[in-house]
Amino acid sequence: MTATVEQICTLLEPFNSNGTTLSARTDISSDLNIDSVTVMDFVMEVEDHFDIEIPLNLLSETRTIGDLAQVVEARTKKG
Amino acid sequence: MQSVALLREKGGVEGLVRTPRNNRALPQVLAAFGTLAEGLDYAAQGVTGFNFYSPRGALQHVLTYAELRCRALSTGRKLLSLGLRRGDRVAVVAETGPDFMSVFFGCQYAGLIPCPMPYTMYIGGKDSYIDRVAGMLAAARAQIAIASDDLYGHIAQGAAKAGVSRVLTHAELQDQPEAHCKLESFGPDEDAYIQYSSGSTSSPKGVLITQKAITANARGILREGLKLTPHDRAFSWLPLYHDMGLVGFCLSPMMGQVTVDFLATTSFARRPALWLKLMSDNKSTITYSPSFGFDLAARRVNGDAAALDLSSLRVAGIGGDMVRSDVLDHFASTLSVAGFKPAAFLPSYGMAETTLAISFADCDQPVRVDRIDRLALKNEGRAVASSEKGARSLVVCGRPMSDSEVEIRSETGDVLMDRDVGRIFVKSPSLMAGYYNNPEATEAAIGADGFLDTGDMGYWLDGEIVITGRAKDLILHNGRNIWPQDIEWVAEQIEPLRSGDVAAFAVEGDDDDDDVVVLVQCRLQNEADIEALRHAVSAAVHRSAGVECKVVMVPPKSLPFTSSGKLSRSGAKQKFQSGEIAELMPSVFLQAAQ
Repeated sequence: MTATVEQICTLLEPFNSNGTTLSARTDISSDLNIDSVTVMDFVMEVEDHFDIEIPLNLLSETRTIGDLAQVVEARTKKG
Repeated sequence: MQSVALLREKGGVEGLVRTPRNNRALPQVLAAFGTLAEGLDYAAQGVTGFNFYSPRGALQHVLTYAELRCRALSTGRKLLSLGLRRGDRVAVVAETGPDFMSVFFGCQYAGLIPCPMPYTMYIGGKDSYIDRVAGMLAAARAQIAIASDDLYGHIAQGAAKAGVSRVLTHAELQDQPEAHCKLESFGPDEDAYIQYSSGSTSSPKGVLITQKAITANARGILREGLKLTPHDRAFSWLPLYHDMGLVGFCLSPMMGQVTVDFLATTSFARRPALWLKLMSDNKSTITYSPSFGFDLAARRVNGDAAALDLSSLRVAGIGGDMVRSDVLDHFASTLSVAGFKPAAFLPSYGMAETTLAISFADCDQPVRVDRIDRLALKNEGRAVASSEKGARSLVVCGRPMSDSEVEIRSETGDVLMDRDVGRIFVKSPSLMAGYYNNPEATEAAIGADGFLDTGDMGYWLDGEIVITGRAKDLILHNGRNIWPQDIEWVAEQIEPLRSGDVAAFAVEGDDDDDDVVVLVQCRLQNEADIEALRHAVSAAVHRSAGVECKVVMVPPKSLPFTSSGKLSRSGAKQKFQSGEIAELMPSVFLQAAQ
C-alpha cells in the first residue's frame, strides 16, 4: 500500500459505516454504503488534506481508492 | 482584510472588487423588457453584475452586466463566424462562471438558441454522463457543443454518439474571428433557450422557452414573488443548467439589475457552510435552495453559526423538491444565533415547463403549514385537517402568479375545490412553446385547452396551492428528480438482465425523502451469483444516479405489466409493499440490511 493510498483510507474511514476493509481496489461508490452527498464531503477532506483541487472530469473517471490515489499524486506533483 | 497570501491560497484574485449592491444612477426596471437582450442592454448601463467565488470562498471573477454585454456581443459574432444560422442550437456546459454567461448571452444577441448542459459531479459517473449528454445533444439537434477544457473530452465523446461534429472549448471559441455582420438579437416573438429538466436520460426532452415566456416569468418572479427592491443582493449556488439556477438566479436578477454572488454547485457540495459564510460577508438579501440544501448547510455550520450575520436575508426561498417543514425548523433554530429570521423562508412551486415559477407564498409572511390526516389522503384523496400526532405536515406554496390560471382537476376532469386532492393544471404566458422537436410529448403535456398537465398532485387551501406529491413515478432524492426509467435502464445493461426485468420506484421514508427500491427479476440459482448481481445493480445505480438503493431479487415473471405491455411501477410497488412480491433470498437480504 502506498503512502497516498494509506492516507486516503484514513480519510475515508469515518465514512465507512459498514466496516468494509479498505484497499486500493475498493470501489468508492459501490463497495461502500455512501451516498452522493457524503461522497462530496469525503472529496473535500481529500482536497483539503492534500491541498489540491480535483476537476470534475477526473472525479467522474475515478472508481477505486487506487484511482483516486493516482489523481492525488498527479495533482500534488503539479504543485 | 484578508492578506494577499491567504487570498491566493483560496484561489482568489488580488485587486478584484465585487460589484456593488445597487445602481445609484440607474432606476430599477423590473423585467419590463421584450427580450433577454433588451434586459441586458439596460442592466449594462449600471454598475451591478455577477461575482464568482472560488471553491474556498475567495472572489475569483467579477463580471459586471456592462462587461457581460461586451463579451456577449463579441462571442455572438464569433459564433456566427462558424457559419451558424439563426435558430441553430448551441449546446454549452453550464459551469458556473463567466465563460458560460458569455456564450448564453452571446446566443441571445446572435439569434442562436443556447442549450445549457449539465456537468458530471459523481465519482465514477463518466459513462452515464456521456450517455446523458449524447441524448440531450440529439434531442436538441445541436449544431455545436461548447465545454471547458476539463470536460471537453467527455462532451466530445457524447457528441460523437449523437452525431454532432463540432465541439469547441471556450478558448477555441474565443480564438475565432468576429463575423462582420450586423447582430440581430432575438425579437420578442422569437425563441430564447432550451432547458433540459424534464424527461429521463434514455429519452431526454428539451423544454423550448420563448422570449415571451421568460420575460413574463421574470416579471412575476421579481414583482410578485421576491418583491425586488434596488437594495437587494442575491446569492446562488444552484446549477445553471437547472431552471431554478438559470431563471431564478441568473436571468431574473439580471432583468431586475441586481447583483448576484455565485458559488459553484460543486463547491457548495463540498463545503455547504460556505454558502452561509459568503451570504454573511455579502449581506445577501435573497437566496434559494431545495430543502436538502438548508439541511446540509445547517448540519455543517457546526459551531460557526454565531460568527455569521444573516440578519439581512429577507428571502430564503425553497423550491425544487417537497418543502419539508422539519428541515426549515432545524435550519431556523440553528441559525437564529446568526440573526436569521424564519419569516424569510419563502415556499414556492414551479417547473421547467412553466419557465420556472407557478406560485409563491407571500414573502412577507411566515411559512404556513397544513397538517392533514394521512389515511384520508391515501384512501379518499381528501386533505382533512388533523391535529393528531401522526398527521402529515405540508407546506403551503402560495397563490398562482396573477397572469396565470391554475386548476386542480379530478381523474374525470372535474375542477376541484378546497381540500380535494387532484392533478394540477396550469395555463400562463410563461408556458413552454413545447418540447423541442417532440410533438407527441408536447401534445401529451399541453391539452387543446392550453393547460399544461404538471403531473403533480395537490389541493387548494384558501386560494393557495398545497403539493401532496410530484409526478406519479418520479423519485425525489436530496432535491433531485430521478426518473425510474434511468435506474431501470442502467440495471438492465447488466448480464443476464434484460429489458423488463427491473422496476424502480420510491417508497416514502420517515422523513418525507424517498427511499429507492429496485426490484430485479432474477433467474440465477447460485447464492453467490445472486449476491454478485445484487452488488452490480446497486453499484450501477449508484454510479449513474448517485443514490443508494435497496435491491430486491424477485422471481422471474413476477413484475406486473399493463395491458399495453408497459411495466406498471405502481403495481410493482403495491405488490412489494403488500408482500405479494418478496425477496428470493430473505435470509441473506436481512443480513445485508442490518
